[in-house]
Amino acid sequence: MPRTIAITLFMAVALLAAAPAPAAEAPTRDEYVAGLEKICKPDAEATQRAMKGARGDIRAERFDVAAKKFAKATAIFGGNVQEISAEPRPSADTERLRKWFTYLNRQEAYLKQITEQLRANHPTKALRLIQRFIHTGNLANNVVLAFGFHWCSFEFSRYG
Amino acid sequence: MRRLLVALLVLAGLMAATAHGERAQRGNLIVTLDGGFAPRALPRDHPAPVSVQLKAGLQTTDETTLPRVTRVELGIPGQGLISSRGLPTCRARRIRDTTTARALETCRQALIGTGRMVAQVKIPSQPAFAVQARLLAFNGKVHGQRAVIVHGISLRPPTVVVLPFLIHLRPGRFGTVLTAHLPANLGPWPRFARFEMDFYRRYTYRGRERSYISASCPLPPRVPIGIFSFAKATFTLADGRRISKGIARSCRAR
Repeated sequence: MPRTIAITLFMAVALLAAAPAPAAEAPTRDEYVAGLEKICKPDAEATQRAMKGARGDIRAERFDVAAKKFAKATAIFGGNVQEISAEPRPSADTERLRKWFTYLNRQEAYLKQITEQLRANHPTKALRLIQRFIHTGNLANNVVLAFGFHWCSFEFSRYG
Repeated sequence: MRRLLVALLVLAGLMAATAHGERAQRGNLIVTLDGGFAPRALPRDHPAPVSVQLKAGLQTTDETTLPRVTRVELGIPGQGLISSRGLPTCRARRIRDTTTARALETCRQALIGTGRMVAQVKIPSQPAFAVQARLLAFNGKVHGQRAVIVHGISLRPPTVVVLPFLIHLRPGRFGTVLTAHLPANLGPWPRFARFEMDFYRRYTYRGRERSYISASCPLPPRVPIGIFSFAKATFTLADGRRISKGIARSCRAR
């Protein structure tokens, strides 16, 4: 009998431990924006520093130098997207934010390709990808226009 | 064939994205900026004549009355060159209270662009209504400083506004800045909603063909396309807030 009680207790404890933690309450849009802006600000500033002079490097045919800057920017962008995508989202904006993250992931992919093309000394291909990167950034901005992001919105001027 | 189709689809996508310009939102206010230049193919090493189109606007998300704008600033990059050497100037006071025809008659030689503007008028205890104005831009000077004198006329209600945009050169990405202060004597009712302007003027000075705006596409021989910050519009509102948007465009080197 005591053995049965012990097993029952053990199972109850195990079930409790295995049960998912109560879901964090979904934030309001304002709380979400404030939280994300805190994450994006240092990354946006780091991108600006990393990309300083990149456009000049391309113009001066220093493609390897530009590639290094784009590689840094890619790492920052990727890290930022990963960090902000883990944040709980306002329940009313789930679909809109899913679209936004799709565009952000596409932008990250473009950044990786730009870096590869610059490394491979293919400036024309890199520039065509930069056009697509900017275009996707503008689409991403339009999706979350109502959020009024500053640091989390795409600004071409931050890229050199 | 498949490549051509893909290229056409990408092009159509890019055109669709720029059809309404790029937007930014602060609170309930959205700023829009769009524009371009022609031709897109430019020399690598010297400036060539171009025409420039700029469209900017403000709108509210909740259809409330637009805030009053006190200052408009338009920045264009240093690789765009404004040259008014030998171009006649127009004095603002000569076209004050004139019709479009009279303004053209007086200052046609200084004409550098045309456009249109929409303003929202909100008179207390009346629903807001839109006013459309035709714009003419003239080469001018204000207190010895280069300026673009904008003459705006609306027929309903009949109103004429003459607004000088002072041209400043400064270091930075947008090396040429056009600034206009919207005078308080415009009154509290008209609220700027949007404008579009086309700048283009070719003229001859001392036997040489010149252009009011010229640009180059300074790229190395191996790079055929360049992407650059094309324009930035900043609006200062009566409550001190500022809202701005910058746009990027590409040029092809020839």
